[in-house]
Amino acid sequence: MDRYSFSLTTFAPNGKLLQIEHALAAAANGVVIATEKKTGSSLIEVSSLQHMVKVCDSIGMVYSGMGPDFRVLVNSARKMAQKYRRIYMEDPPVRILVKELASLMQEYTQSGGVRPFGVSLLLAGFDDRGANLYQVDPSGSYFPWKATSIGKNMVNAKTFLEKRFNGEMELEDAVHTAILTLKEGFEGQMTEQSIDVGIIGTLPNAQDGGPTPVFQCLSPADIRDYLSNIA
Amino acid sequence: MAPLTEPSAGFKFDNVKRNQLLGDKGYKLPTATKTGTTIVGLIFKDGLILGADTRATAGPIVADKNCEKIHYLAPNMYCCGAGTAADTEFTTNMISSQLALHSLNTGREVRVVAAMTMLKQYLYKYHGHVGAALVLGGYDVTGPHLFTIYPHGSTDKLPYVTMGSGSLAAMSVFESRWRPGMSREEGIEVVKDAIEAGIFNDLGSGSNVDVCVITKGNAEYLRNYSTPNERVQKEQSYRFTPGTTEFYAPRVARQAQEPAEMDTSA
Amino acid sequence: MSIMQYNGSAIVAMAGKGCVAIAADKRLGQRALTVDTEFQKVFPITDRTYIGLPGLATDVKTLYDRFRMRVNLYKHNEERTIEPKTFSHLVSHMLYERRFGPYFVEPVVAGLDKNDEPYICGMDLIGCINFAKDFIVGGTASDNLYGMCESLWEPELGPEDLFETISQALLNAVDRDALSGWGAVVHIITPEGVITRDLKGRMD
Repeated sequence: MDRYSFSLTTFAPNGKLLQIEHALAAAANGVVIATEKKTGSSLIEVSSLQHMVKVCDSIGMVYSGMGPDFRVLVNSARKMAQKYRRIYMEDPPVRILVKELASLMQEYTQSGGVRPFGVSLLLAGFDDRGANLYQVDPSGSYFPWKATSIGKNMVNAKTFLEKRFNGEMELEDAVHTAILTLKEGFEGQMTEQSIDVGIIGTLPNAQDGGPTPVFQCLSPADIRDYLSNIA
Repeated sequence: MAPLTEPSAGFKFDNVKRNQLLGDKGYKLPTATKTGTTIVGLIFKDGLILGADTRATAGPIVADKNCEKIHYLAPNMYCCGAGTAADTEFTTNMISSQLALHSLNTGREVRVVAAMTMLKQYLYKYHGHVGAALVLGGYDVTGPHLFTIYPHGSTDKLPYVTMGSGSLAAMSVFESRWRPGMSREEGIEVVKDAIEAGIFNDLGSGSNVDVCVITKGNAEYLRNYSTPNERVQKEQSYRFTPGTTEFYAPRVARQAQEPAEMDTSA
Repeated sequence: MSIMQYNGSAIVAMAGKGCVAIAADKRLGQRALTVDTEFQKVFPITDRTYIGLPGLATDVKTLYDRFRMRVNLYKHNEERTIEPKTFSHLVSHMLYERRFGPYFVEPVVAGLDKNDEPYICGMDLIGCINFAKDFIVGGTASDNLYGMCESLWEPELGPEDLFETISQALLNAVDRDALSGWGAVVHIITPEGVITRDLKGRMD
């Protein structure tokens, strides 16, 4: 058991314990998800790495684990969202998308000829129940959180969040808290190049007056502003 | 579980045999709602303008006095539909869904030619049985584009186009008044007049004018831009005094139940 | 004769002030022969969303069962009640699936949404939705109903006024349609609950 890790959350196909990256999130009247863009070498073109993706207008997703496996899940998640839209003409509630994604991941734990997905996911979204943050593990289990973290520094990050998080936080505060949590145990200099931040907030809708949830990845310039405020 | 919860992709044909039998027995099979329709599009100085009337018909009956014929495809693309109303609605929704996925997967704004190609390939596949006649307009990285797409899958690319039963009336306006490099205001005015030509001269078109102006990085949907057929206030009220209609007891107010509902308590 | 006229039907929905109403006749016929005078054509989907299915009776029953199943599954999966608008899109999607071999019904949906706002819509047999603000009609008496509703309907009718208006519209429409009538039922949907009344109509 020591040579290989069969723990589902850290599964790697080569049998080696995977050094997973660090992702984290916090929920408020919107949701913030943030991640470290870790690279093995300084020669890698960092700007081309995409850890934070949009699933549909109201849902965003980030991962910890194996990039290639994540891309497969992103494709599935986007198709699931579109399929739901084609029937009901509205975005799926976050929990419904999470459930369906989790079933897919569960199927890969007991199907022949495949291996489980080597990723844990954080999904942030907005629906008629408000802001939602979910974690999905390779086993197919999923959890709703107020704030949480996954990845290699998750224990420290969670302790930090337990101290800093409260339910009344505004979206701006949540971005700060998320970045500060990432900073705990961050190796090297944190710059707008080395992290990704995604937010779900509601924009006032001009057409029917109802709130429209929108997922956005912050631009490097926006992240730089937040970082300078923190320093 | 899968067959119960997940509708299979594509069309189902399990009623076709029965319906054919009924048809052979001499029962006339009903026709779907059509949008008689005047739809138009033109290129102007900074982009393009789409226009549509708002009447839907079922035979000689006006089925919908204020329907929406300009469909959303992508943030930079809209599409007017004429023909079988359900076909224009569902075809544009399905293509819009594919465009959304394409744009997420490529990280770019989709080009209008891509949408045009997807639409024509889809329509060609059904040899005209999906009765959608479309005017597609959008602004992408290569500039403004305006297409017409016919139910059989053929396409045209022109600076000003009209479609539907009111297309002749609308084209007469365009042929006399369209010129290259029109301003936004001139363009909207010509589109409005072209649609109104359809509304007043074609029986399949009626009610109001919807307009959509698409420019670089912006799309403005002007729903009911012109309402030349506003209904006037009724002169008399035909309100009945309560108690006019006879009905049987019990006349109690009750909370509705769902009779075939499964028991969810266990 | 069209297959839509085989059994005969008349269904109408109207929007009022903070309430909606949906009404239907009760006749089931085989062409000119009346077979049943208590045939159900309007069905509750949730506490405050009803669907009326004018058209071929065999499809009315089949479709209602299919809708029931999909709505029950929705309720279990999503742990919430389906909104009238969402339900309409589901119905529309299910009808368009059979674009080339349709069910012969023209559904009419009436309900109150989660903000107690009235919602009514109608569809053709392949699922093209007609979002109306005033009224929706369907069935063999639909031409007559269009005439009645255009003249009787007015905005902002309360539950009792709406009941009289929709009842008179329906009764007078079916009296000029040989294929529908033989009693009628009206449901008035209000935030407090649903009032259901069986109307006294001509039995000829």
